[in-house]
Amino acid sequence: MRRVILFALACALLPVPAIAQQSTEARLAAYRERVEQLEDADQIENLQAYFGYFFDKGLWSDAADCFAANASFEYGQRGVYVGKERIRRALLLFAPDGLGNGYLNNHMMLQPIITVADDGRTATARWQGMVMLSAPGANGVWGVGQYENAYVKERGTWKISKLHFYVQAMGDYDLGFGRGPIRMEGPSALFPPDRPPTEVYRAFPSGYTPPFSFVHPVTGEPLPVAQPADSVARP
Amino acid sequence: MRKTLVLAALLATIATPAAAQSADQQLDALDARISRLEAMNAVERLQKTYGYFVDESQWVRLSELFTEDATLEIGGKGLFLGRHRVLEYMQTAFGAEGAKDNVLAQHMQFQPIVDISADGKTAWVRSRAFVMSNAGWGLPLYENAYAKGEDGIWRISRLSGPFTMYTSGEGWGRNALNNTWPDKFDPPPDLPPSTVYLTYPAYYIVPFHYPNPVTGNAFAPDYAPVGAYFRPPGTAEQAEALTIGRLADGTQPIAEPPRD
Repeated sequence: MRRVILFALACALLPVPAIAQQSTEARLAAYRERVEQLEDADQIENLQAYFGYFFDKGLWSDAADCFAANASFEYGQRGVYVGKERIRRALLLFAPDGLGNGYLNNHMMLQPIITVADDGRTATARWQGMVMLSAPGANGVWGVGQYENAYVKERGTWKISKLHFYVQAMGDYDLGFGRGPIRMEGPSALFPPDRPPTEVYRAFPSGYTPPFSFVHPVTGEPLPVAQPADSVARP
Repeated sequence: MRKTLVLAALLATIATPAAAQSADQQLDALDARISRLEAMNAVERLQKTYGYFVDESQWVRLSELFTEDATLEIGGKGLFLGRHRVLEYMQTAFGAEGAKDNVLAQHMQFQPIVDISADGKTAWVRSRAFVMSNAGWGLPLYENAYAKGEDGIWRISRLSGPFTMYTSGEGWGRNALNNTWPDKFDPPPDLPPSTVYLTYPAYYIVPFHYPNPVTGNAFAPDYAPVGAYFRPPGTAEQAEALTIGRLADGTQPIAEPPRD
């Protein structure tokens, strides 16, 4: 109801814009494009959420189906898996299919900043990732990191073309990040990745900033980052 | 009053049947609706970006999200006036630019309620953050304002981040940190806190910028001199709480009686 009022007031107060000089067709085309941008961002937001709910429950096949055929998947320092079928198998490294009792694999995904390309065919997004894990016989684990993902629209359907979760910190439930930090896993010997990690870094207590895919919302400038030194990786 | 407004609004929109409206009038209305959705997205994006910049100590970039005359107030620290003071606050209180070893201060941003003014130039957001840090956990709330500049770009004009709860790694069942106060750390604020309140385990409601979405009733904040409640407004316990003063040094020990 409030929105009705606000909207009505907005209509009443709006000055006749310069755009009114344009043809009806030109205005309709411009508005269609703006609505499509909004819809694209919504669909990408939902897609990532679908993936997240599948991933939480070890529904690896459904999770893999969210990817484009030649997509890539990278989690922490595990390396890069390329192609939907390789991803489907690599997901089994996290836990058995369908998890099972004693497992918790929650990867909450929030705070998306979605940038749809002008042509509406590709997009990127940064997400905040909050992680709560458990495995049979092990203590609970907290985690936090950011996703820097890419998406592609194929025949009207958005798919994940790149998923990269930059783990920033993992910690024991009782000890927390400060007293019980946990290192990231490296590439699997059992099912090696197609490529090594795109960026080599260590999780907390080492500092690292996952690169930003979006531009500054006010200045429009890209956001390159300077990483702190690392005695081994960045001496 | 509300009903009158609604009626007026309805008359304004339906007095002229759609068929009788010119194509340009209909398109103007469509433009306004799309613009409002875009504004909501832009404002949410600003707030999310603020969070990511806090996470990574991107202080200069963070300050660029603010208007020249913006205000910032976080916890009980007091008010900082102007973009340059926002930058000074962040750099002085939280250290150098960029990620650092042994520092984790994720401020996850979520649950925004966004409202855009009728003229499309001002916006308000109530939202929250969950802080996961190497030192413990925290729950800031936000009641922020945003302004659309002459250049068409949205910026933060007021960042108000009162604290709900902060705790060490022990967790909020055993430990609660005090609200901050003006001279707890540098730099000093330009003005004292706009509101004095205690954080968890005390009960304090940050006033809502919006009415109840269903009834339209506005929330009536309590303007008593002490803004600390430990029970909802209107209860005897809350009235009694208003007689308890805030401690001069800002301390608020959990499980200990208040000191004078």
